[in-house]
Amino acid sequence: MLLQFIFSFLSTLGFAILFNIPKKSLIKASFVGGIGWIAYVYSNEKFHSLIVASFIGACIVAIISEIFARKFKETVTVFVIPGIIPLVPGAGMYYTMLAVIEKDFSRFASTGSETMFVAGGIAAAILIISSLTRMIFQVSRRKYRKNIETH
Amino acid sequence: MHSTMKNILALAVYAGEIMLKNGAETYRVEDTIIRICHAYNIPCVESFVTPTGIFVSIDPQDHNNDDNVITFIKRIQIRTIDLNKISQVNNFSRKLTTSYLSVEEGMDLLKKIDTLPKYPGLLKIIGAGIASAFFGLLLGSTYNDFFSSFFIAMIIYIAVSFIDKLHSNLFIQNFIGGAIAALLAIFSVNIDLGMNIDKIIISSIMILVPGVAITNAIRDYISGELLSGVARSAEAIIVAISIAVGVGAVMNTWIYFLGGL
Repeated sequence: MLLQFIFSFLSTLGFAILFNIPKKSLIKASFVGGIGWIAYVYSNEKFHSLIVASFIGACIVAIISEIFARKFKETVTVFVIPGIIPLVPGAGMYYTMLAVIEKDFSRFASTGSETMFVAGGIAAAILIISSLTRMIFQVSRRKYRKNIETH
Repeated sequence: MHSTMKNILALAVYAGEIMLKNGAETYRVEDTIIRICHAYNIPCVESFVTPTGIFVSIDPQDHNNDDNVITFIKRIQIRTIDLNKISQVNNFSRKLTTSYLSVEEGMDLLKKIDTLPKYPGLLKIIGAGIASAFFGLLLGSTYNDFFSSFFIAMIIYIAVSFIDKLHSNLFIQNFIGGAIAALLAIFSVNIDLGMNIDKIIISSIMILVPGVAITNAIRDYISGELLSGVARSAEAIIVAISIAVGVGAVMNTWIYFLGGL
């Protein structure tokens, strides 16, 4: 598990450099990627489903990114994009297109639909977390305003 | 008054352009444009952003100039990912809402952000190698595969950024990237450096693969940005096809003509 964390940490670090994220966030973004991958591996062992595992991994990535973004006053994107990279179905997409080229349409359908569902799971996770945090912050801000008005 | 309205709009569109060119989500660009216009007391702003262009109209609501609506359109042709610039423009728009900046000062700041340097080339090349090689280990490749995908990814990155300088298009770039990946993977297995051709190829093309683009496309679809969803997924599919064609061409040549030696 520790080895997996180190590998995904370093892989995310490489992508973070390619995406040119700010210097002070490099290590934090890599940490997000590492934790997301651990969550993915763990839930893949537990539920035996790539889609569920990607969803849970992306949820963890999004939650930690939202926390980091607020704590370190950065844009959420800086943590989310490198963080989901290890989970993202790049290999699936490649296999899907390779199936098209080899005219293997049943494999195209199976790998293609799985890739779409994995990508959908990741996207849904990020969307759900970001709208939830927005809602929570809206509520707390309203409470804060009410407090000011009443006091 | 009229000219300053124009300048404010130009400033907002420029900020949006920097963000969109460097891979920001469309809703974030729309938000930033509206926030900048609000900061300069323009209440009526409507912005429509797709991955290929920005459209913004403002209504000055000013009786001196016949209530003219001003519109700006900006085409975006090249898109890369540079998260540093997105975060800088975000800070910039936040700064605008909390403290007053003149339009000229704002323009200067944005120009500075637009020309911010990236990481040095050598570091990015090594970054590409590290990213691919460790991704390969996550997929379960051996340590021999690790070294070969490390070098292959670095070579792909050098080649692709060189081709990028020649103003080529998306297809050619990724086609050549995929072809190099397949060629060198076959080579490295033949000289007994690597073990699994499959894993070496997948991990070394990871730096080209549009995984983030496809995830963002689906994010756009779910949140109702249908047009940008279509544009982004089309881009992702073209990139994936061109990589697959590059790899497929080399692999098929190798198997059919050289018998998979």
